[in-house]
Amino acid sequence: MTPTDIAVIALSVAGIFFAIVAAVGVLRLPDLYTRAHAASKSDTLGAVLSLGAAALAFGAGVPTVKTVLLLVFMFLTNPTAAHAIARAAEDQDIEPWTTDEEGDA
Amino acid sequence: MTTGPSGRILVPIGESVTLRKTVAYAVREARECAEAGEAATVHFVYPITGRVADPEEFDDPESLLDRVEVWAREDLGDEDGSAEVRIETAVRASDVYLFSPIDYARTLIDYAAENDLDRVIVDPEYTPAGSAPMVQPLEYELSRSDLTIEEAPVERKTRRARLVRGSDLAQFATVFGASYLFYLVIGGFAGTFDYVTGAFSAAVTAALLSQISLSEAPDSRTPLRALRALVYAPYLLWEIAKANVTIAYVVLHPRLPIDPGMVEFKAAVWDDVPVTTLANSITLTPGTLTVDVRKRRFYVHTLTTSAREDLLDGGLERAVRFVFYGRQATNIESPAERRADEEVTEE
Repeated sequence: MTPTDIAVIALSVAGIFFAIVAAVGVLRLPDLYTRAHAASKSDTLGAVLSLGAAALAFGAGVPTVKTVLLLVFMFLTNPTAAHAIARAAEDQDIEPWTTDEEGDA
Repeated sequence: MTTGPSGRILVPIGESVTLRKTVAYAVREARECAEAGEAATVHFVYPITGRVADPEEFDDPESLLDRVEVWAREDLGDEDGSAEVRIETAVRASDVYLFSPIDYARTLIDYAAENDLDRVIVDPEYTPAGSAPMVQPLEYELSRSDLTIEEAPVERKTRRARLVRGSDLAQFATVFGASYLFYLVIGGFAGTFDYVTGAFSAAVTAALLSQISLSEAPDSRTPLRALRALVYAPYLLWEIAKANVTIAYVVLHPRLPIDPGMVEFKAAVWDDVPVTTLANSITLTPGTLTVDVRKRRFYVHTLTTSAREDLLDGGLERAVRFVFYGRQATNIESPAERRADEEVTEE
């Protein structure tokens, strides 16, 4: 196994790990805002790490450049989407879940 | 202009859309005088208004003056305050209630007399009393004194006269270049057909979108900002990585130790692009999610207490300021310090 292979495998594993964290987060977290955290960010990192692995596997060349561009767009669009969802929720006056509420109940 | 304008300039300051350009104009004028060997000093004076309606929308005088000073130093290219043009800021009339243009004019004339200034540059959109028009009566009152009165020749968006300006061409060229390069990269630089169709597509894109995608033309500061952004990118990536590990810990922890809450703070960044950059960076760093931005007021949802503390320590904010305004703008204190007295965190 070459060092490149090892790096590719490490990146893929890390990517999958964060994708799983995102999924677990969406299931476990209590409300829309907190779930948006998990869905947008851990997921971004997961996708970015996987794409990084793909870019490494391709080696130098046009496919790598495309992968990197894809990566950049993930970074730009994911926060925007999360922001749009959270803002829509706020416009609908959805109150964020807090630990206090749980104490009261 | 022909009679050798003075370099001792007074600029009344108030929130306005053309404030940035007025500051730039005043600094440029002062600098020309300094280069001609005359004494050059610019005083930015904020006459406090009696108006109390809508205090949320406006900066308090000190922070507005801080911002003006940062702009002025940026225009001077002066990081340590050693330039030949002196910059002063002052708040005036905090003890009286300014009501009419005459009151404003008197305040400014007194200030000019005290500080030996003889030229006033007025922002054409200067409306300290809210929506009431102020500039013309103010200029009339000022002109009855010995001061030289001048309106800053700034461009206003609603009064565009010429169809094509130099900056339009620069915007067009930038968008055209970026689109063309993108097209060729995606196509893999594959032969004449691609070069021709790419040029055509890029021309159409630039013609349609250059005004939308770039709100102002790239100028001499753009390359420097791009360089600083290159420093910023790894810093942001590191922050993202670090914070993601924390969030993974929180999410996978059996007891789910979260403490979500909304945080509201006023960021010390100005203009559209820096605000957008900061908002997106906040969203990208895990544990914080920008919900809404109104003017400079950020509404951020935070997942944990530590994420909240990091946000208010202002590391990201400082980095964004570094990218857009240079090193000395990083000295502004952090959000936590700025709002030490106003606690608005929702429990």
